Amino acid sequence: MRLLKSNKPSYCLLFVALFLLCSSLNTGYGAEFSAEVSQLESVHQGDSYALSAGVIYHLSDKAKRALQNGVPLFWDLHFKIQQHRDLFWNITLLDDVIRYRIQYHALLNMYRVRNETNGEITSFSTLSAALESMSTVTYYPTLKSADINPQNHYICYVKVDFDRDVLPLPLRPIAYVDPQWYLSSDWTLWPLKK
Amino acid sequence: MASEKITPPVNFYVLILFGLILLSLQLMSSAMQESSQLSAMYSWLLLFNALGSVVLLILVGANIVSLIQHTKRREAGSRLTTRMVSLFVVLALAPAVIVFYFSMQFLHQGIDSWFNVEIDRALEDALELSQASLDQRTRWHLKQTQQLTGKLEESSDSMVAADIENLRELSGASEMTLFSHQGRIIASSSINPGDILPSLPDEHIWLQLRQNGEYVALTPIHEEELMVRVIVTVKTTETKYLQALYPVPVRIADLADSVEFAFVRYQEMNYLRNSLKLSFSLALSLVLLMSLLAAIWVAFISIRNITAPVKELVKGTKAVALGYYDQDLPVLAQDDLGFLVESFNDMMHRIARARDETRQAGVEVENQRAYLETILANLTAGVISFDAIYKIRTANQAAYRIFHVHVNQFVGQTLIELVQSYAELAEPLKSIQRLLEQADDIWQQRIAFLGPNGRQELLCRGTPLFSQEGLRVGAVVVFDDVTDLIQAQKNAAWGEVARRLAHEIKNPLTPIQLSAERLQHKLADKLELADAVMLQKSTRTIVQQVEAMKEMVDDFSEYAKPSKKQAVVIDLDLLIQEVLALYALKSGVRFIADYGIGSQLIHGDPVSIRQVLHNLIKNALEAIGSNGLIDISLHRVQKNNTDFIEIGLYDDGPGIKEDQIERIFEPYVTTKVKGTGLGLAIVKKIIEEHGGAIWIDTARKVGAGFIIQFPACNAEQL
Repeated sequence: MRLLKSNKPSYCLLFVALFLLCSSLNTGYGAEFSAEVSQLESVHQGDSYALSAGVIYHLSDKAKRALQNGVPLFWDLHFKIQQHRDLFWNITLLDDVIRYRIQYHALLNMYRVRNETNGEITSFSTLSAALESMSTVTYYPTLKSADINPQNHYICYVKVDFDRDVLPLPLRPIAYVDPQWYLSSDWTLWPLKK
Repeated sequence: MASEKITPPVNFYVLILFGLILLSLQLMSSAMQESSQLSAMYSWLLLFNALGSVVLLILVGANIVSLIQHTKRREAGSRLTTRMVSLFVVLALAPAVIVFYFSMQFLHQGIDSWFNVEIDRALEDALELSQASLDQRTRWHLKQTQQLTGKLEESSDSMVAADIENLRELSGASEMTLFSHQGRIIASSSINPGDILPSLPDEHIWLQLRQNGEYVALTPIHEEELMVRVIVTVKTTETKYLQALYPVPVRIADLADSVEFAFVRYQEMNYLRNSLKLSFSLALSLVLLMSLLAAIWVAFISIRNITAPVKELVKGTKAVALGYYDQDLPVLAQDDLGFLVESFNDMMHRIARARDETRQAGVEVENQRAYLETILANLTAGVISFDAIYKIRTANQAAYRIFHVHVNQFVGQTLIELVQSYAELAEPLKSIQRLLEQADDIWQQRIAFLGPNGRQELLCRGTPLFSQEGLRVGAVVVFDDVTDLIQAQKNAAWGEVARRLAHEIKNPLTPIQLSAERLQHKLADKLELADAVMLQKSTRTIVQQVEAMKEMVDDFSEYAKPSKKQAVVIDLDLLIQEVLALYALKSGVRFIADYGIGSQLIHGDPVSIRQVLHNLIKNALEAIGSNGLIDISLHRVQKNNTDFIEIGLYDDGPGIKEDQIERIFEPYVTTKVKGTGLGLAIVKKIIEEHGGAIWIDTARKVGAGFIIQFPACNAEQL
């Protein structure tokens, strides 16, 4: 499997501004702890297309400690399919988000993963199991076959975005400048298999 | 002042900006509250305030740089602005820093006071208690389920479903399911008939089950519901697993949840303690920074507005120091400084008016002075003023004409010092100096001296000058060259004598001569020879003396009558050549003539001029005798902006005695045995009647020398 990594800048203006202000502190830029899209596959099933993706989450010590102390963490798994055009902007055909929340429950000594998109809750006795449950998306339905023109070229984008804006207030200023809190991935591109 | 309206030192827009900054800080403070709806905007507010701080920092920095540059350039008002800004910053910064320090102290101590070991321990104990309670409940359900398996061991396959149903109802479980060893559902019963599919254990549970033979755990079913999942092995011929789900009572679940919430909340707060301190410190620092920067920036604007009139005043004062009195400074505010500026403007207007009046008066005085100077310069009389110690202050043009010395070049020097440069003027200058020093009142004296143009006679009149206090502040001397005037008086007197002689003496001479000749004629024949001889001798003597007297009277007549009878343009070099031609054959006398360059034209009577030349050459010939040299030179000179034709006539005879030099041109003054003494008097009279002058060249030490000057004929006379 061949993966294309994009180096598009982050859309988070806030981060950019604070990055400029605190560039000296942000030299690592979170590469060590950023999530990684390890697998991306498009499947044509019947009259529809589906995406399967695998994500590897690398939690920093600070993130683990925060989680252990009851701080819930949120990731957004972005799916995007665009029709490529040479002369104009690409046309976005799909832009979906699956939002995950992971939180430690001290009473049961378990990690609870909640899919905020569909409300599904799953509890795990270990962190790795909980992260594992968030790491795989299988046959995520995307477009109908009728929406795809075989003559055109389509690109799938997948990205995991760690949401720092829902961290507790005291953590946010630090999270914007501390590379240990940069837990997002870059966009991963993959041509849609027709 | 027409209006007493007081304007604020800062404008409306600055106040609005200041209000926005305060609003932004307030919003950020509100966003710090976890429950606030603004908390979602916390990052943006933080960014906005940080950017605001940067902008304010840039503004303040730019103002500081500008102020430093102005101070270096020593611009007006810059030092006052620096002092005021420094004072304001110190006054604002000192209390702000103190408040900030203690606020930080209180903040950190306050946050630390939220946490202590006892609460930590109590919450941990509470959680442990909850866990123990639930654990006991799970163990009890495990034991209960294990007991139920005995009944199922004896149950047949056809009855197993009914047995499961009975056991579920008996045990109070909400769901009971029997699985095969492979995990296939054999029978299931649920308290909710609508649940078709039972809750299935996941892979981890199966793994644990196969390892331990049983599994028990609390499982969250929904958001807040807890279930005790128990799975035990049913020992039949084929291993089966019985899963029972027991609901945890709502009250127990709520209590456990409450304990967990409190524990987690405390745990989270404890974990966020340092971040909280940092966050609050950051917010407080940002508030302080923005407030101080905004205050300093507004202080710059305010102080600039306050010092603007002072700057204008300084600029105006500098301009006034440079002599620009037409200052009209703008009145920027109707306050005390505005009143000061108005007063300055009023003062400047008055000074400008006074300056104009002074300038006008100065111009008038200058005009008067120029007028007086013009009058003095055009006076024929020389005027020299002196200071209290008799040093020359001013001298007019006539002083130069009389003394032939630029007296005004010797301002600040005494007349005695002037003598050192012009020895020929020693006599009159010393006399004047002496009179100046001796006289306490107006004095007048005639001073004669031998100047470069011959004998000159000055009529001097001195007036000492006194101040209002009676102190002597100087003197003024007015002098006039009366040489010509006195000479004219003398000439007039001699002319009158000549006319009277002609009239009173010449008239009786003819009868005397005729009577003598008649006596000779009548008595010559009647007298004895001796008597006749004596008569003839006496008669001849009478006739000769009468002739001589006639000749003398004629000379007087000649002297008395005007010489400039018929004025024409005369070429002097031709005339001199003609006259010299008459004496060219005179043996033993050598003539040297230098006629100069070009024609030397004068305007006069050629007969009279010829007589002048004849008289002078005759005198020279008589002086040198049979052998000698006569040198005649002719050239043009300029004197007092007037062209003169100068004739120099020199001989190498015995010369003229010094005691006769002064009076040589007066009638009846002669060095010859014979002669009436009227020759040189007539010469001088003719020359002066032609506007010329004659004097003896005293500088010449050999023989006698005469210098004659005639006004040159100008173009208009041609």
